[in-house]
Amino acid sequence: MIAETFNNFLGGTAALFGDPMGVLIFFGGVVGGMLFGAIPGVSMLTLAAILLPFTAHLSAEHGIMLFSVIYCTGVYGGAITAILFNIPGAPENAPTAFDGYPMTLKGEAGKAVGAAVMCSAIGGTVSCIVMMLATAAIADWAISAFGPPEIFALVFFGLAVAASVGAKSFWKGWLSIMAGLMIAVIGLDPVGGIERYNFDMPYLAAGIHFIPTILGFFAVSEIFVQAEKKATGSFKAPKLSVDFPTFKELWMHKIAVIRSIFIGFFCGILPGIGATLAAFMGYNEAARWSKHRAEFGTGRIEGVISSETANNAATGAAMIPLLALGLPGGALTAMMVGVFQMHDMEPGPLVFINSPDLVWVVFAAMFFANLSILLVGFLEAKTIVNLLRIPFQYLAPMILCLATVGAYAVRGLTIDVIVMFVAGVAGFFLRRSGYSVAGIVLGLILGKIGEQTFAQAMQMLHFEFSGFLGRPIAFGLLIAGFITIFASVYGAFFKKKPQLTES
Amino acid sequence: MTVRKYLLSTSVALAMSAVAGQAAAECASDALPASMEMPGGFPERALTMIVPYGPAGGSGQVAQAMAQAVSDLTNVSINRDHKPGGSGTVGMTAYMATPADGYTVLEHIDDAASAHALDSGKPNPAEALIPLVTSQITFSQIYIRKDEDRFTDWDSFVTWVKAQDGKATIANVSKEGSMERVTMKFITDATGMKIQQISFDKGAPRYGALAGGQVDALFEQPGDVRKFLDADKFMPILTILKEAPEAFADVPDLTDAGLDFDPLFRFRGFYVKAGTPEDRVKWLQWAFQKAYCEEGYQAYNESKFMTLIESFRDTEGSKELITETIAQYRDVYKEMGLEVK
Repeated sequence: MIAETFNNFLGGTAALFGDPMGVLIFFGGVVGGMLFGAIPGVSMLTLAAILLPFTAHLSAEHGIMLFSVIYCTGVYGGAITAILFNIPGAPENAPTAFDGYPMTLKGEAGKAVGAAVMCSAIGGTVSCIVMMLATAAIADWAISAFGPPEIFALVFFGLAVAASVGAKSFWKGWLSIMAGLMIAVIGLDPVGGIERYNFDMPYLAAGIHFIPTILGFFAVSEIFVQAEKKATGSFKAPKLSVDFPTFKELWMHKIAVIRSIFIGFFCGILPGIGATLAAFMGYNEAARWSKHRAEFGTGRIEGVISSETANNAATGAAMIPLLALGLPGGALTAMMVGVFQMHDMEPGPLVFINSPDLVWVVFAAMFFANLSILLVGFLEAKTIVNLLRIPFQYLAPMILCLATVGAYAVRGLTIDVIVMFVAGVAGFFLRRSGYSVAGIVLGLILGKIGEQTFAQAMQMLHFEFSGFLGRPIAFGLLIAGFITIFASVYGAFFKKKPQLTES
Repeated sequence: MTVRKYLLSTSVALAMSAVAGQAAAECASDALPASMEMPGGFPERALTMIVPYGPAGGSGQVAQAMAQAVSDLTNVSINRDHKPGGSGTVGMTAYMATPADGYTVLEHIDDAASAHALDSGKPNPAEALIPLVTSQITFSQIYIRKDEDRFTDWDSFVTWVKAQDGKATIANVSKEGSMERVTMKFITDATGMKIQQISFDKGAPRYGALAGGQVDALFEQPGDVRKFLDADKFMPILTILKEAPEAFADVPDLTDAGLDFDPLFRFRGFYVKAGTPEDRVKWLQWAFQKAYCEEGYQAYNESKFMTLIESFRDTEGSKELITETIAQYRDVYKEMGLEVK
């Protein structure tokens, strides 16, 4: 099977690079994905939406290949602004900012960006190889083994450790998570579509979108924090650094990389879940197993490594349910369905039978797109890091403008800009009080997925909690989540760890 | 008049059954002139189409296909502005805030009619808006996995579900009062089945739930699951029409299954705001109705099983469809005990 896969891969590679138009589209996708991922205010989804109608004029191979390349490099591109300016290019880059931006403040921007480049490439390439080897088998296993009860249990397991990220005390950590969960319930309920907490405001019926919330809590609140320091004379400009991490430094975190590959791949193959949950779960698990758990959120390179490995590992995995079953894992893969349909094709099992050439050109393109992150990513990073030379008084308004455009661009609604600024002001005061804005964002994103899957799980289990006992994977994850919570309670109140006491 | 008698008298149901199984031999708007002079130079710039759903779903796709067809026909660009959320509420609210100058059009589905039926404070698409064209009308089916061995057809499915005493599951959309939920109520009332509906608001997880065996059946429209049908992964066991179209002749319809209710339909169309200058409305009506017959749009509709029953309604036909649908839903909601405002 491996020999056949390798032959198919070589065939796909030859088809990709033997066609000048294909090469042009490939490099256009690599650079476009990185740029749109890295420019605050736009994302790879913006680029994909712009390009979607034009793919009708390309061949099916070129259209699908372009989108898959944009997907690989766009997920990486958002890490750069997350690290340098605390502006995640996309939700899946938000956990990268948790530690990446503190590293920038400590003068370690180069190390953080370098880690993001390396780990994005590793995570993406490995998942791409697994995708090539076992797409059909993995897809069938994933959708039969993982239903709503298992996904809910996975989210619960993730939330159990999230309270320890970035807050100054046990209670403030949990209150931050709870605040995020509260925000997540605004809008239509996932069972009956009943409006909740929208105070008869139609725009709130759609809920609080997480992109403006992330921009507010991270970018806007950070500008306020830095502005206050500037006003009080305690401002220190981030030290410019282009020192990338050494191989030895990365090797020290090999376990975190491997763990995140598994997590990212696993989250990626679940329909409708995708890279965002992958990045958050990857980060959470790195924090859970780290000896320096209390230092997460203060500039640990492990945080960047785990988040960026996981979100890129999800890209190859997300292609598995798309190609094998026709089930998109996220927004960009859903747009790929549109590209297929423009060419009178449907992604799904028949694609492998009817269009094997297309599949292998796409596989080869994704493989080389992930590898190209190493080369183009380093060149891009060396350039973009220099933006830190811009004095704060010029940089801050630019970031605010870009964040405002980014918040508005999500749906073209003014309320999203208002949400961003409210989150920015709230984030400023919450951070001063020792609460964790990372925890709030974790609660918001995992809360939306968790509530929906909990409701579905309860319907499937006929509203009996004992139904989880009959689903070993879900039950195991719930037990692991409870153990984590008990361990954190024990650590906070019985072991008297200094980092978990009120500061 | 009882609900049943009212439903039986609706021209919607009659029209549907009359054309079921007939592919349109001639395109509905072929009779329209091949070109039309732009009134006073309108439109001088690109149009904006507000789409209250994401770009990848059924609404996003039909919006893209129609925008492309109108642009091909008229050389006028159309920018699509997706405003998803709140089951179409966000897009509709945003649209109602735009000026009635004809430069902004709206794509919407039957959810707008059912939302008005439940709450008359929400815009009535037949009055607050002027329908330019209804370009997709489709029906629903119940699907099971092709390799399912616990039941193989509608009769054995009903028998099996009844034996499970409420433990059987079907994947459906999440919104109470939606076409899908109301139709499932018709089915369970008529058969005496007790079946747990699992709420999925997005298509992919809904289809994945059936493909992965997480649920026993799926409620969906055929165009949305065509790839699973073509790949022999899913099979329909009930067509929710009085008379099944030719393409599904071997699948029991409501008459075959002895289910005595009138089906509800999913429809998608394009609108402009009431109060838009009349000459501009006329031009837009021509452009959108004529674009329906463009080769590209027809190919798209065919790929989505949207030619199995007549999908086209002009402005008057759309108003009739919407008005009758609102009346249908309103009566059904009252019968269901929902608060109709």
